[in-house]
Amino acid sequence: MDMTLNAFTLYILTGLQLGSIFVLIALGLTLIFGTLGVVNFAHGALYLIAIYLAVSINNALGFGLALILVPPILFIFGVLMERGLIQRFYDRPHTDQILVTFGLAIVLQELLKWVFGANNIPFAIPSWGNGIIMLHDYLPFLEGFVVYPKWRLILVVVSIITVAAVFALLHLTRFGLVIRAGMRDAEMMQFLGVNINRRFMIVFGLGSMIAGIAGVFGGPVTQVSPEVGMHLLVPSFLVVVIGGMGSLGGAVLAGILIGMAQSFTAPYINLNTVIIYLITVIVLLVRPRGLLGAKGVFE
Amino acid sequence: MNNQLSFWQLNKAVILFAVVALTMPLWFPLINGYSGLDTKIMIFCIFLVGFDILLGFTGYLSFGHAAFFGIAAYSTGLMLKNFSDNIVPAIIVAVAVATLAAIVIGLLTLKRTGIYFSILTLAFAEMFHSMAMAMLQTWTGGENGLTGMPTPMLFDLKMQGNNVFYFTAIMAILLFYVAKRIERSPVGLMMKAIKCNQTRLEYTGINARKYKLLAFVISAMYAAVAGALMVVYEPFVGHEFLGWHQSGEVVIMSVIGGVGTLVGPMLGAGFMLYFENVLSVDLGEQWLLVLGLIFMFVVIFMPGGFMEALERIKRRFFTTVDGE
Repeated sequence: MDMTLNAFTLYILTGLQLGSIFVLIALGLTLIFGTLGVVNFAHGALYLIAIYLAVSINNALGFGLALILVPPILFIFGVLMERGLIQRFYDRPHTDQILVTFGLAIVLQELLKWVFGANNIPFAIPSWGNGIIMLHDYLPFLEGFVVYPKWRLILVVVSIITVAAVFALLHLTRFGLVIRAGMRDAEMMQFLGVNINRRFMIVFGLGSMIAGIAGVFGGPVTQVSPEVGMHLLVPSFLVVVIGGMGSLGGAVLAGILIGMAQSFTAPYINLNTVIIYLITVIVLLVRPRGLLGAKGVFE
Repeated sequence: MNNQLSFWQLNKAVILFAVVALTMPLWFPLINGYSGLDTKIMIFCIFLVGFDILLGFTGYLSFGHAAFFGIAAYSTGLMLKNFSDNIVPAIIVAVAVATLAAIVIGLLTLKRTGIYFSILTLAFAEMFHSMAMAMLQTWTGGENGLTGMPTPMLFDLKMQGNNVFYFTAIMAILLFYVAKRIERSPVGLMMKAIKCNQTRLEYTGINARKYKLLAFVISAMYAAVAGALMVVYEPFVGHEFLGWHQSGEVVIMSVIGGVGTLVGPMLGAGFMLYFENVLSVDLGEQWLLVLGLIFMFVVIFMPGGFMEALERIKRRFFTTVDGE
């Protein structure tokens, strides 16, 4: 393959940008799965709520307010969803959990379609994020004139900050310690007198909030229409599977891997459409627990 | 209880279904069902009975059965277009192709259980969907779908109107009978044992994987027959046949009707198609929202679906103190 350094850099950036959205959605999914053992088919719908809220607030009141309001609203929504619905399903079979979240996904998607219509709503990027970045000014090894949309780079940065924040929360705080212990053995935590139910609720809110952040910054890139949620859900599920169910590091690694794979196969349309599935099948055959999955977890 | 069950006791459900199905053109218009919808309901009865052999018996929730439905539909379409307008070779080839796909996908996905299995089947179906949209566009017609088939023929019989209906209805009755036989057979018992406790079954020295794969492939064959008949019913194949909407629809029908009862999922299919095509006139754009709410209600409060509801009513009003 004959590729210049310029093209290579652009492919890498596009891969990172595509991966960023997958990582953000998959991070919430895997956090919820790892802690609560629930596969949330409605996670795409949470992203959908986030982009519709973000676009409405952005177009009416400005981006700043969207950024301040959407993630907390999604957090509250996640908490309510866990208390009102998911909580009833902890003791039911896994398939029931899939079914009820699938039903919720349909209901939410149709509600949003009813309110906002089926067409794409334009998401105006704030002026400070508009335009392009002259990459050749910053990266001396590039030849000539190389540019990249600014907003997509911002998305990558936001994604890195979010991932760092989640890892810091889980690994540097006492709350994170309890959550990680709960991911290992929730029953034992209860015997030790920890109110694990309240933590579950917060974790669900957190996963939902990450979808909120993804929505605020990803909305302009992924478009704002009712199909977006389900479109993103399938690859995000695969990211979780490839990375290893319940593994946060795995989700990040697999998200970037999938993003890169999509970016680098872009010139070959036939390969591009199936590359995600090919990678999934190969990983499944070679390493069934996923790249960074813990031994014995859904192996 | 007497061990020798009479013919009536064994085949009650099949006979009742046959009566309801074959008289459908008489009573269906009375409840505003248009001609053609009855055929579609029969087609989905086949799909759903097969799906219940997998979900109801073994407990494996596939989110990708549209793959087999769609593969068979495309195969039928291509056969009708390029080989012969006779539906018999078309259906046979379609089922064979889908069966082959089911064996490969089954071997890969059945390594996993529960959630993993659902996600992986969904992924495979989506893979076929994107292949039909891009890689195989010259064959499938991509976004526009596969069109230009001749009028399907059953040897010298034109497959139009009532002919299609009776052909599908007879297929549905036959395949329902086969499913009932499977349910009563030792193989069916093994499949149900997988749902109850797979580990324990394996400890008794039984190769559970064999029965899982068998259930998966049989259900895929039913889906394939349904997919092939769909093209006979309406000579057109859209890429939606392979999409996750289609897979999800089947799951919803199963659950609303009552998983594991064989009859329930057919009720679910009838209800949902009737709802989608007749009642939706009053509900307008929001019919899917209402359906989603009904589905959630069933999952939360009535996991046994319509069949559980019927059972509850029966227990309430028609039984004596000591039950049956």
